[in-house]
Amino acid sequence: MTRIRDRMAERGRDVADWLEERTRLVSFMEKQLYEPTPRRGMWLYTLGSATLFLITIQFLTGILLLFYYVPTTKDAWNSIYYIMHHVYFGQLIRGMHFWGANLLLIVIGLHMIRTFLSGSYKPPREMNWVVGVALIILVSLLAFTGYALRWDQEGFYAWEVGMKIASYTPLIGAWAVSLLLGGDTVGPATLSRLFVFHVWLMPAILAPLIGVHLILLRLHGEFGAAFEYSERLAKLNKRKQYERMEEYFASDEEEEESSRGE
Amino acid sequence: MPEELQKDPLTRGQFLYMGAVGTMMGLALTVPPAFFIMDPALKATIFNRSDIPHVWREIGSIFEVPSGEATAFRVTFPQKQTYDSGGPNSRVGSLTETALASWHDGKIPDLVKKRSEGATFSKSEVRTLEKNINVMSNACTHMGCPVRWDSVHHQIVCPCHGGIYTINGMHVGGPPPHGLWRYVFRIREDGIIEVRHKWVQGTPWIV
Amino acid sequence: MAEIKRGQAKPAEEEEEEIITEDNVFEHYDEPQGFFPNQVMADLTVSFALLVITIILAYAVPADLVEPMDISTTDYVPRPEWFFFFLDQWLIYFPGAALVAFGDIAMPIIFAIVLFAIPWLDREPAYSPARRPYMVVLGFLVITAIVLNLFLSMVRILNFPGGSPAG
Repeated sequence: MTRIRDRMAERGRDVADWLEERTRLVSFMEKQLYEPTPRRGMWLYTLGSATLFLITIQFLTGILLLFYYVPTTKDAWNSIYYIMHHVYFGQLIRGMHFWGANLLLIVIGLHMIRTFLSGSYKPPREMNWVVGVALIILVSLLAFTGYALRWDQEGFYAWEVGMKIASYTPLIGAWAVSLLLGGDTVGPATLSRLFVFHVWLMPAILAPLIGVHLILLRLHGEFGAAFEYSERLAKLNKRKQYERMEEYFASDEEEEESSRGE
Repeated sequence: MPEELQKDPLTRGQFLYMGAVGTMMGLALTVPPAFFIMDPALKATIFNRSDIPHVWREIGSIFEVPSGEATAFRVTFPQKQTYDSGGPNSRVGSLTETALASWHDGKIPDLVKKRSEGATFSKSEVRTLEKNINVMSNACTHMGCPVRWDSVHHQIVCPCHGGIYTINGMHVGGPPPHGLWRYVFRIREDGIIEVRHKWVQGTPWIV
Repeated sequence: MAEIKRGQAKPAEEEEEEIITEDNVFEHYDEPQGFFPNQVMADLTVSFALLVITIILAYAVPADLVEPMDISTTDYVPRPEWFFFFLDQWLIYFPGAALVAFGDIAMPIIFAIVLFAIPWLDREPAYSPARRPYMVVLGFLVITAIVLNLFLSMVRILNFPGGSPAG
């Protein structure tokens, strides 16, 4: 029994060594898994990973929905109806994509508020804040365009209002709205463009930006709220206080010495 | 290590080569895609091409327009967008929208009151009728929501942001920038209203 | 590999007290821990909870699919998703073409630029929200404006039941 266990352990080590030599996977994992993080307020920092998790769910369910969704004005609505009523777990997959998007917007908002309140955007983490703002804008645009892909009244009119707002842009209004419409009226080209934005263009920008967000996070480390450092700050303040007192007494002594000298 | 390798100088020729090849590659990969994407926008804004061909479509008879109320008529136009390639599978799509028609201030003109359906009008009578009827788009000029007749307050209202128009489509309240879009229309001698996919004030977009 | 010694461990040697200065105070936390396993457990728990919520909601409240798109509708009342309610309310405050361009295009763009620029607008070196009142009050005002507009638009929408403006 013990011999088998030893052998298994040896085999495991061999595999790990083999991988490490070729990919540095083991040391990479070691570095990633043993990154220092705050012990206090740990639950506050789950918002970021929850956002990542929900976005992963969106990518996964989005790819699954594409197996049935047809981006044409004639069939878009029918294909979604088909997903909801005839495909195994269709309601689950579409429901997860829909509710995942709703939850994502809540969680990403909370994540942003947390970052704002803890001041985690201060030097040297400014660029991570900028990437984060770009991500939140992209996610809301994705929610907006995805809503319209249903090509039902609700989603269509939301997108329609959005396009109409674009038409008010000074100078380039007409150009901007006809670019979104794919012509001067709502038609098949409008839905094709929506499909491009939601399914290819914006995820293609979103995915690498998430990578940059994570790399920058790991580069400078998680900055927790100030209370994560309260003991160290207290020690610092205490030391500074002592120094000031020492200075004060030292100057007192000097004064005394100088007055005695007179 | 990288410092040691930073020894080969960049010659003037290499620099120019990089610049020239880089520019050419950049242009080849950006200019055609830009035009590819902007095709409909350029055609619509610069060449004034519309997806809807120059056709007149009947919306209904003037006898169907009641007094003191704006009525909705559905009208379907052929639409050429994406699928009208001219190949063997080419097909022309369609776009259905709604026109609101009302008599000026809601009053039916006497020459209509006297007659019933099937009557014919002379050219001068038709001109009088055209002056006395409003044929408007039901897309709110603010955000394009479908406006409707409010029979309690005798006005046209928008459900989205509370735009209010008179029975003649003039803007009286709420955020819309101006009155309802007016179709280019004509009345046939047998009293049928025909419209084109064109508006007196310009292009509303969306509809 | 080093041999693992079994038995009672030696008492830990007393480490020399680190001198905390303003430069290194934020270098690590009071009680640092590895990302694995505690933080991973917390992240996993939250992700699991969210997954369960989405699955329950997917069946309890099926995703909407209303009537197919029809631009010629005469009785449909368009309403945005809840997360755009505040923007929808915002549209009402800016009547006329010029103000629409200002309120609904220029202002959101300015807001986005301000949001991007927050790290450069907030030069206060302190991290605690209590010690940078301007930013926190400003952030609070923005959130209040969004929530207030959300409620205003909800009140407006609830008072405008589907399709009958006369009501």
